[in-house]
Amino acid sequence: MTALTRAFAVASTAIVAAVIVVLVWPHSPASSPAAAQGVTLPASPRPALQVPRPVLLSHSAGTSYWASVRRGVLARAAPSRRAWVVSPLTTATPEGTTNIVLVLGRSTDRAGRLWVHVRLPVLPNGQTGWVPREALGVYGAVHTHLVVDLEGLTATLLRGKRAVLRAPVGVGEPRWPTPTGEFYIRNVLTRFSSPFYGPVAFGTSARSSVLTDWPGGGFIGIHGTDLPQLLPGRVSHGCIRLRNEDILRLQKLMPVGTPVTIR
Amino acid sequence: MPDLTLDELDRDGAIRETLEEVSGDTRAAFLGKAAVGGAALLGALAAPGRADAAAASDVAILNYALTLEYLQSSFYTEAERLGAIKGKLARIPRQLGSVERAHVSAIKGALGRAAVKRPAFDFKGVTENQTKFLKTAVAFEDLGAAAYKGQAARIKSPALLAAAISIHSVEARHAAWMRFLAGATPAATAFDEGKSIPQVRSIVASTHFIAAHPKKRARRKPKYTG
Repeated sequence: MTALTRAFAVASTAIVAAVIVVLVWPHSPASSPAAAQGVTLPASPRPALQVPRPVLLSHSAGTSYWASVRRGVLARAAPSRRAWVVSPLTTATPEGTTNIVLVLGRSTDRAGRLWVHVRLPVLPNGQTGWVPREALGVYGAVHTHLVVDLEGLTATLLRGKRAVLRAPVGVGEPRWPTPTGEFYIRNVLTRFSSPFYGPVAFGTSARSSVLTDWPGGGFIGIHGTDLPQLLPGRVSHGCIRLRNEDILRLQKLMPVGTPVTIR
Repeated sequence: MPDLTLDELDRDGAIRETLEEVSGDTRAAFLGKAAVGGAALLGALAAPGRADAAAASDVAILNYALTLEYLQSSFYTEAERLGAIKGKLARIPRQLGSVERAHVSAIKGALGRAAVKRPAFDFKGVTENQTKFLKTAVAFEDLGAAAYKGQAARIKSPALLAAAISIHSVEARHAAWMRFLAGATPAATAFDEGKSIPQVRSIVASTHFIAAHPKKRARRKPKYTG
């Protein structure tokens, strides 16, 4: 075979191969469907959201729970309709906010009815009671705890085990003592015009055992003052007074529902 | 186990309000908010030449999804915090709660200021009762999967559709898992039907799990002892 013949044979083979490719390739089962239809698929879009890794709840020892009172109910001494009544619970506080109670536990009675054990804002201080779950509404969780030291005249706000605020306080004079025990924050009042109470006032579940005929029921508040020079001291009618700058810091750090220990 | 509708579990009406915000009755106001607050998302989602209305529609769908994710995440989170779910179900609130919170975080992050706010929820003791908890978990996960599927064809942005499908498949896995635990067939049909927004709204509204936020602040002079 001459060089010319070989070249012709190679060229012919190449042409035939090319024709075969053109004719056969589009129908080849090995080809992509897109290519088969002459369509070029775009790249897959990146998802518009980046879902982060799931984060488990941290279970710190300092978490407490509160519940709103959805309908008026009688708190009872035990989780039973036949238990004696400790106190009625209303849906609103004297300040017009939703009445809330601190949740301490739960139990189901023989009839399958769920009862919730709650701390009550009633006299004598420190009482607890049981209410049917259906009388309560929204639950909330808080991770803070306020401790008021009547000896050291300080208030310390804890988040978990860590103190996030410590401030000097004014507490009740001996004739109007600040009650001791376990309580909770019921509400917060702001934008009122009363220098005596400062810029912010928290309502607590604690009540004066002396000033029982005080307007509104003699509830103990935690509030600012227009007499900061008296702090720390035993200067109030039972309320816990903080300097205005401290009560403003507390407002940012302490949610409603926070447990309060006064000792 | 029969199909669950939640009718027996809820009674009052604020979920309807929230869903209506993103689905119809107050849509004009919502889209106005989306146009301002969701600018970043609109920019990210809108393909070149796409009308703003199409992107705004995607934002509305995303807020609809966010509302459902709020419902699910709040449900599991409350159950975990209260600690009343025991035995073979004990790890469900913790595991599913973490996933649903991740969904919330992702969708809120994408929506920015256009995100609807988290409603308050009153689960009426369902998070404190084993049997009711599981039935509700089945219903919520079935509902979540059906709701995402129901919106898939309406999503304009391919990027958002890809994201929605990545969440939808997780909801479907959860649904199968909860059904298995409840003794129900995990996948009873060959083809799943999606649910429309009105259908989902109706089911969720029947639960009355969404409640008014408790009023914790007031603007009035204190009457504390001083």
